Amino acid sequence: MLSQFFVLSPRGDTIISKDYRGDSPPGAAEAFFRRCREERSCPPCFRINDVTYVWVKQHGLMFVCNTRFNASPSTIIELLNRLVKVFKDYCGVLSEEAIRKNFILIYELLDEIVDFGYPQGTSTENLKACIYNEPLLVDAQKLRVPSLSTKTVSSSAVHKPIGSRKTGTIGGGAARNEIFVDILERLTMLFAANGSVVNSTIDGCIQMKSYLAGNPELRLALNEDLVVGKGGPYGTVVLDDCNFHECVRLDDFEAQRLLSFVPPEGEFVVLNYRTAGDFRAPFRVLPQIEEATPYQLEIIVLVRSEIPDTNYGSDVTITVPCPRNCTAASATAPSGSSADYNATQRKLTFHVKKFQGGLELAFRAKITLSSICTAQTRKEIGPVSMTFEIPMYNVSNLQVKYLRIAEASQNYNPYRWVRYVTRSSSYVCRCR
Amino acid sequence: MNASQLQREAASRAMKMARAAGMEKSMAQAMGAAGVSAPNVAGGDGRFFSSTKKGETQEIRLELQAASKDKKINAVKKVIANMTVGKDVSALFPDVLNCIQTGNIELKKLVYLYLVNHAKTHPDLALLAVNTFVRDAADPNPLVRALAIRTMGCIRVERITEYLCEPLERALKDEDPYVRKTAAVCVAKLHDISPDLVKDRGFLDLLRDLVADANPTVVANAVAALSEIADEDKGSDDVMGMSSAKLQKLLAALNECTEWGQVSILDALAKYVPEEAKDAERIIERVMPRLQHANSAVVLSAIKVILQYMHEALDPESELCVGYRKKLSPPLVTMVNTAEPELCYVALRNVNLIVQRDQRILENEIKIFFCRYNDPLYVKLEKLEIMIRLVSDRTVDQVLLELKEYSQEVDVDFVRTAIKAVGRVAVKLENAAQRCVNVLLELIKARVPYVVQAAVVVVANIFRRYPNRYESIIGALCENLESLDEPEAKEAMIWIVGEYADSIENADELLSGFLEDFRESEHAVRLQLLTACVKLFLKSPQRGEAQQMVQSVLSMSTECTDDPDLRDRGYIYWRLLSNDPEAAKAIVLGPKPPVEDDTAKLDEATLDLLLSQIGTLASVYHKPPEAFVNEKTLKEEEEEETYDDFDDAPADDEEPAPAPQGGGGDLLDLLDMGPVAAAVPEPPKSGGDALVADALGDIFGGDPVVPPSQPSGDIFGGDLMAPSQNDPFGGSALFGANTPPPAPAPLRKPVSVLQPSQQSGGVGIAAAFNAGEQRTIALDLEVSNAGPQPVRLLQIQLNKSPFGLAPADAPSLQFDPPLLPGTTRPKRVRLRAGDAKMLSQVPAMTAGAGVNVQIALKNADTGAVFYLAAPCPLDAVFAADATVDRSAFIARWKAIDDANESYATVADLPTGPSIDAAVAKLAARRCHPVARRAVPGQVGSEVAYFSVQLLGPEAEYLVELTFKSGVAACKVCVKTTARSLAPLGLAAICALLRAP
Repeated sequence: MLSQFFVLSPRGDTIISKDYRGDSPPGAAEAFFRRCREERSCPPCFRINDVTYVWVKQHGLMFVCNTRFNASPSTIIELLNRLVKVFKDYCGVLSEEAIRKNFILIYELLDEIVDFGYPQGTSTENLKACIYNEPLLVDAQKLRVPSLSTKTVSSSAVHKPIGSRKTGTIGGGAARNEIFVDILERLTMLFAANGSVVNSTIDGCIQMKSYLAGNPELRLALNEDLVVGKGGPYGTVVLDDCNFHECVRLDDFEAQRLLSFVPPEGEFVVLNYRTAGDFRAPFRVLPQIEEATPYQLEIIVLVRSEIPDTNYGSDVTITVPCPRNCTAASATAPSGSSADYNATQRKLTFHVKKFQGGLELAFRAKITLSSICTAQTRKEIGPVSMTFEIPMYNVSNLQVKYLRIAEASQNYNPYRWVRYVTRSSSYVCRCR
Repeated sequence: MNASQLQREAASRAMKMARAAGMEKSMAQAMGAAGVSAPNVAGGDGRFFSSTKKGETQEIRLELQAASKDKKINAVKKVIANMTVGKDVSALFPDVLNCIQTGNIELKKLVYLYLVNHAKTHPDLALLAVNTFVRDAADPNPLVRALAIRTMGCIRVERITEYLCEPLERALKDEDPYVRKTAAVCVAKLHDISPDLVKDRGFLDLLRDLVADANPTVVANAVAALSEIADEDKGSDDVMGMSSAKLQKLLAALNECTEWGQVSILDALAKYVPEEAKDAERIIERVMPRLQHANSAVVLSAIKVILQYMHEALDPESELCVGYRKKLSPPLVTMVNTAEPELCYVALRNVNLIVQRDQRILENEIKIFFCRYNDPLYVKLEKLEIMIRLVSDRTVDQVLLELKEYSQEVDVDFVRTAIKAVGRVAVKLENAAQRCVNVLLELIKARVPYVVQAAVVVVANIFRRYPNRYESIIGALCENLESLDEPEAKEAMIWIVGEYADSIENADELLSGFLEDFRESEHAVRLQLLTACVKLFLKSPQRGEAQQMVQSVLSMSTECTDDPDLRDRGYIYWRLLSNDPEAAKAIVLGPKPPVEDDTAKLDEATLDLLLSQIGTLASVYHKPPEAFVNEKTLKEEEEEETYDDFDDAPADDEEPAPAPQGGGGDLLDLLDMGPVAAAVPEPPKSGGDALVADALGDIFGGDPVVPPSQPSGDIFGGDLMAPSQNDPFGGSALFGANTPPPAPAPLRKPVSVLQPSQQSGGVGIAAAFNAGEQRTIALDLEVSNAGPQPVRLLQIQLNKSPFGLAPADAPSLQFDPPLLPGTTRPKRVRLRAGDAKMLSQVPAMTAGAGVNVQIALKNADTGAVFYLAAPCPLDAVFAADATVDRSAFIARWKAIDDANESYATVADLPTGPSIDAAVAKLAARRCHPVARRAVPGQVGSEVAYFSVQLLGPEAEYLVELTFKSGVAACKVCVKTTARSLAPLGLAAICALLRAP
């Protein structure tokens, strides 16, 4: 029962504004933006007078809905995320420029997706039947899309818009019969100072973007030793919980770990899963603090990568917050890495472009203090946080055994791009 | 008038407009042409001149008339582009409308888009399109039919709805599901514009038929539309018309339809509770697979259905339900773990409610509520809240370790909340209190100022919960005295020193250190310091400077201050100490009301209500929907009289003004405010209030004034009322009432009703109602400005109150010179009393404390609007000038039937047995003494008669007080013509008599 939908630029300009119910006060977008500015940590739904605003920020843009009803905020948030996806499917990339250029298309989409505040359907494919505007492309190269690391992107094809209904061609007729499968895992890990794991979770998903002609039914097989729910036998892949896209049929899931589905057009998540079970941390972190003189501390962060040596972590960044009374820092980075100290934020950063598996690196830094080091000073160091991305590796061991087209008679052989990526979500080691 | 006539009329009007515009255009063209010819000579750049705004419109108009479809489409796109950037393109209306008759859907859609946007501003023009709509609604292409129905519903012009009914009726029975689903929503649209039409034309029945439709999307939309209509029309019964056959249809559709439809269907299911346990089980089994859905909205709605049925139709302790509960845990954990903080926040707010009903669902999962360093603050605060709810003796060590970790992070707000959380864990789990204290001790030793201050406040609470157990840490606290600069922390520290004055060796030195800054200290700190010094003196009078200190603090409090609360309290102590030190000891050092676990739950009824709203905004705000969903439409609101001078809609009547919205600081915190007020961060002064209340508890020893411990009854008003209700002084007179009449009663002193907050732009208000001159009521305000800007002008407005109060002069507070930041100034507003019809609805018991009058203020400079509520005692509207002579009084007394009499007895008169004093006291409050006489036949009994008139309405009270000599009690009899007002008057008179 949402009332209005807005897309706002980072400066607060209204790029798109659609009114569904005509019951919102004038100037709602401005009121929203003002409140967002004022509050330091603005929750995703809040109220100004009797109007509730629900918003998400994606690609630097704010997507906002408001309502006067006791609506479901998760419906609205999911819808906003879905709108972002549909816009991206249609425009190829999502940016302020792309939206401004295609605003008539966007309005047409908004008309079809939501009627009188009720979401009608967000499947890119079904929408195609009633969308008549053609997307205008913006130059994707110009935009640095902050998606997966550029190295692991198999082609620029993922930035193509979906085919329009008239031409029937896909992605402007360039490559066809491709399907992209990403097994993406985000890691939350927390180490105590002695290196033991305090808390660990994998939050993973299998994402797909299909450009298959004729849109055939697909079969996706996962590890047979997959266990859903807690407590599988040792050595099996255990998922605490998982959920599926609505197109997925689970008839053979219990017996054969087989998912069958007709992929909807555009990007979609086949499966979300989560596990907090025991898994091998890809990087072990051991921070040490030594007092060189009363006014100088040496910080050593030992990082050992425990992934196979055929894999590597890319763009590994290690950040160490320094104490308040830190005046200067000098770091020595091992070869292949760089070090940097940000004096205003008092943050020490090490950066390794490629962290080979099996390698152990020691990052050292000397920091100078303005007053004598006390126990409190030491407490203020840390926690050490890491960000990284490991291509072609996943921690949970969940695997796609095969991806097949259901009807064997079809003798075309699509390109299948399967990627595994492990990324850090919150990877932290405490220093005390 | 039929359709074609109507159209012709509208068309001719539009044509006139267009012609007028066109003439301008042609003139502009002519001028343009002249312009072209002139610069042509000069250099040929003249064509730029023709691209003026008018020229552009003309250009588009020509393109719109072009034969080529592509050109037309481009032209309409240009029009829409102009429209979206805010240019006025209504002049092109007839031209755009001409394009509507096309077989090209793309063009048609564009024209419709234009129409929907312009119909609001040009309803007459929109009528021109009716014929096309009606024709399109019968088009062979279902897309076109649906488009016509959808667009027609969006044009919110009442006259169009008449033409909508017929096509809509057809569309609801259309063969194509796309048309039917569009029509289903359209019924809701029609209901929004004209509910009667929906009922009269039988659309509800058609809609109910669609619930049994073969197509799942149609079913979902029909359910959504019916739910909305049911919500709007509370009067009519069972709009949905649920039956077991329909239930089957819904469950079947649930598996087939889109995720959004699933949410609608599940929400409808949650409202319907099956009668048989078997049915409930069956439905739960069908709903269970939805827990695996990727869309968290679907999952939350499914959880709502399951919880609701378990609670309503099944035995929650049965094995079956234990199994259900087990299945609820993984999806909840998944939602909390999600990568999107927005969804996580919604999930956390819901989890907060669910664990209040049943901790077992997540008791083993406390780890997932540990904060990640990159969580946004709003997620972190919610997680903390749930951690405190879930923490048990088993998990407390883990949790404390986490909390300690958080208290060393960089974000100051988060750190404070984490430290407060340690205190709340200590108060909740007695076994873990020692460990919590250890953690706090460590934090205090770190000597980071804001950490120490937060910890001190927390420690004070722990001391109150577990008296005389952890004094050992006082030493550590005392080492950090110099770093305390926040009033809250100072207050807490002073309270501790006073409370443990006998066990702290140098308590006198510590207090005298604070005393040095007495004059510069904040109000609450001074009050606390006064009490602490008295405690010190009572506990160890022989100690060095104790006596001298108490004397100096008493004299500073009573003589050198303009702070009425402080002065009053100072006098009380002074008298107590000089009359009866033993009694003073009993009173000041008496037992205090206990501090309780503030993770206490919402009351059952509210919790039930909120749990039935899982997944909706109500579950995020933790408020019942009525609190934030305004039944009125925007239009009605604009017509609303109350607050109509302010540009935004009035907040909910009971909304406490200073309550911060969102950010976790909403209902829950307000509820938590009860017993352990000091442990809760917002509003900022709450800690102080609790301690003040405590101090009051000290004073009144045996009869402690406890903060409202269960404010569940008035969830939203409780917070605001608390400070004023708790203040037993009410700013009223302690002395002076002893003097014989006609001395008027001292004015009530303003009590703080609005703390400075961000919302109020730093303006704080203290208010009291007094009698004014010339039949007016004075609203005495003390306006303080804690904001960064000087305040020049505040506009004031009063909400409807039982007394019908309204400003007598211009409704504004002019500050000349401006009220500078950091200063306070008294202001008086003269009020008139209006009709007091509503008085009879005020419950008598509240009359003594006064009726809350809601006031809205608007800062004319910043436009900030804020609300407050001030208690107005009934006697403020007693008329001062009404005098009655004896004979008239007797005549009236006799005229009123005895049935209209009401009685009460007031014991322990504060004025003692003196009749003169009691009479003088009432007289000072504008109860006019008429006569006094001895009761014949009863020796020592005397009666006094008073007449009381109200300012606004025609109402009069006749009062008779009966005294017995030497007894500090009296019998009160109140007679009045309006019987409904009698209890109110009686309560008010009794309150006056009891007032100190």
